[in-house]
Amino acid sequence: MRSLHIDGDSRLHRMPAGLKLASLAVISLALFTINHPAVLAIAALVGLASHALLRISAAEIWRRMRPFVLIVVVVALFTGVFSGVTEGLVALFRLAALALFASLVTATTTTGDFIDVITRAAMPLERLGLLKASDVGLSIGLVIRFIPEILSRYEVIRDAHYARGLKPRPLSIIVPLIITTLRSADEIAAAIDARGIRSQK
Amino acid sequence: MATRDLVLSALFAAIIVALGLVPPIMLGFIPVPITAQSLGVMLAGVVLGAKRGTISVLLVLVLAAIGLPVLSGGRGGLAVFMAPTTGYLIGWVLAALTTGYLSQLLVSRSQAGFVQTVNFFVAALFGGVIVLYLCGISYLALVTGLGFSKAFMGSLAFIPGDVLKALIAALAGRAVMVGYPLLPQRA
Repeated sequence: MRSLHIDGDSRLHRMPAGLKLASLAVISLALFTINHPAVLAIAALVGLASHALLRISAAEIWRRMRPFVLIVVVVALFTGVFSGVTEGLVALFRLAALALFASLVTATTTTGDFIDVITRAAMPLERLGLLKASDVGLSIGLVIRFIPEILSRYEVIRDAHYARGLKPRPLSIIVPLIITTLRSADEIAAAIDARGIRSQK
Repeated sequence: MATRDLVLSALFAAIIVALGLVPPIMLGFIPVPITAQSLGVMLAGVVLGAKRGTISVLLVLVLAAIGLPVLSGGRGGLAVFMAPTTGYLIGWVLAALTTGYLSQLLVSRSQAGFVQTVNFFVAALFGGVIVLYLCGISYLALVTGLGFSKAFMGSLAFIPGDVLKALIAALAGRAVMVGYPLLPQRA
């Protein structure tokens, strides 16, 4: 699984991840208070131009934005038809700018930096006794570690269907997938505890 | 939280991600492909219960937020949390929570198999359809200024598929309960 982060040494790359997230929050709030289509269009253009300044190719920008194009256009058209052209343009540029700015933060921040931010943000919760901050990184690592394993398990179960001349059906795939996967939980938990990774508790 | 619970949540999060990566499953009797990821959210509640199910869905969202393309169709990054459909992602957390809570409340091991399946279906339908759409539609209506009725109309087409997924989740939940029971039981 390849992260959406893009290597680089721009000013955005060097900015602390927490600061980037805070700026993104401020920018998105600002975008919701602005109701002028021209200003929002400029914001969207700035977002797009920043991608270009990071030397992200047009094809790559399109690949990143494609999942949002349809829903943004549909919402903008709906708004345009029912509430007038200006409102439609406001929706179009606002939603496009939001997606573009968010994508900038994603492209310039490594997974590790994000995990550090989340762990630090979880510290107050740890003091309240709600969770252990270090568990966040551990769980994320576990999920990433097991995705390929579950995919290969899915393929084994599917092939077992074909070998028996059966068509794969949702139920007859999902149930064995869940049971075989979750059965390994005890072993994994024992391995984590045996290495003292979570220390006490 | 016990290490085993943490591992179970992480494994289920990985299952939800994997369900978004496999090609959409075709059902025999209707010609519409089913994307399995939202099915995974209901399954998390039905199989693991409220607490662990909610944590596994939260983990999937954290992975998406930190830039991994873990959502169906290879979506990921912070942009998915800045889209008109973000309400459905927030709804996932509440859907797993509600489905899990209702499963724990309604289903017990002493019930007959059919009763368990029906109760799982009620839990998945309430959490994975009603609560999910309530979140998704409210968010869509408020953020885009579309208004509730139009947001509701736009989402209507997806509801039959999700009702079907609730049924699959119920059948799978009952089958997993028979094979490897994990759902916390009332004392």
